[in-house]
Amino acid sequence: MSRQVVEDTLTADSIAADAALAGSGDPSAFERLYRTHVARVHTLVRRMLDADEADDVTQDVFIRAWQKLSTFRGESAFGTWLHRLAVNVVLARRKSVGIERGRFIADEEPLKDVSGRPHTPELSMDFEEALASLPEGARQVFVLHDVEGYRHDEIARMLGVVPGTSKSQLHHARMALRRHLER
Amino acid sequence: MNDLWTNRLSEYLDGELDSAERAALEAHLATCGACYATLSELRGVVAYAKTLVDSEPATDLWPDIRARLTPGQRPGVSPPGTVRSRRFSFTVPQLLAASIALVLLSSGGAYMALRPGTSKVTPQPAAVRQQGIMTVANVDRGTTDAAIADLQATLTQNESRLDTTTVRIVRQNLAIIDRAIVEARIALQKDPGNAYLNLHLADTMRRKVELLRRVNDIAAQS
Repeated sequence: MSRQVVEDTLTADSIAADAALAGSGDPSAFERLYRTHVARVHTLVRRMLDADEADDVTQDVFIRAWQKLSTFRGESAFGTWLHRLAVNVVLARRKSVGIERGRFIADEEPLKDVSGRPHTPELSMDFEEALASLPEGARQVFVLHDVEGYRHDEIARMLGVVPGTSKSQLHHARMALRRHLER
Repeated sequence: MNDLWTNRLSEYLDGELDSAERAALEAHLATCGACYATLSELRGVVAYAKTLVDSEPATDLWPDIRARLTPGQRPGVSPPGTVRSRRFSFTVPQLLAASIALVLLSSGGAYMALRPGTSKVTPQPAAVRQQGIMTVANVDRGTTDAAIADLQATLTQNESRLDTTTVRIVRQNLAIIDRAIVEARIALQKDPGNAYLNLHLADTMRRKVELLRRVNDIAAQS
């Protein structure tokens, strides 16, 4: 067994143990889970919603996780469970605030107001800014598909659209973003 | 640029066209430089998306989250007074997850610390490389032993308030933890100065204290 495998096993099982302890009401174990996963959750939320909502919604995700930990049975990794929970919280937020703008963007120029920049070390940040400027629907499909790895049928189910709409949104998002990358 | 084909480039990229459509698009790409260039750009976007990294929030959100965790309220349990008193059981998966983790932490930790030829490169957190940390850990261990003894005595008194399944699983878990502690102590006899093993033992004992406290809390509320 390689050292990396041993370390990965220790990390994964330490998280599983903390999930079990947190599930029985241990805030310290839950804080360790928070420290391990907050960057991933916050980044997902920030990309899916507006940046100024990210802190509040991230808090909601972890509160929701605390409330639902007793339902976590360990069939999947805790991180996978938490990530799916975060997506659900984001989508519920989307519905509750009535974010409907930008569901169909075929004739729009989503990035027309975003100035292009040459390839620089700051490109990643620029790309994030360009992503944030996409219409909501295109942004969420792009994040879920190209960043998070969900399939179109899963995305369609989550967003309440048909897979063809998800594919169309993804294409428009990519087309808009490639203009930014190539400028 | 042919819009009909341009709008199918993402599907082509993702392998979602059927064989006839794919063949037709590839024939078009052979003759359309604009579509070919766009496909290349889209491929770049997809590749770039996979390189994006996660980042921490600008401020620590934990204090606010901690404040919103209802004091004394366990996950998934209604506030006191809203449900009738009931006997409480850990779920088997929760307890097994904890026990399996402890076994792996023990065996994995011992493996990493004691396998031949690695004693000089055992990973040690920066903090424990400082002299004095080990002394603190050893002092804490004596305190922890006393705490464990008290908690176990309390648990003996409380066991009758727990259901049979919970008692059986708790005992199994405590036996696993005790075995992990014994193994760590044996390993430490061979390598008393091993910082990793010392921390591992302290952590395992801490987990035993947490489990005992948790079970006693549950028994007290049953």
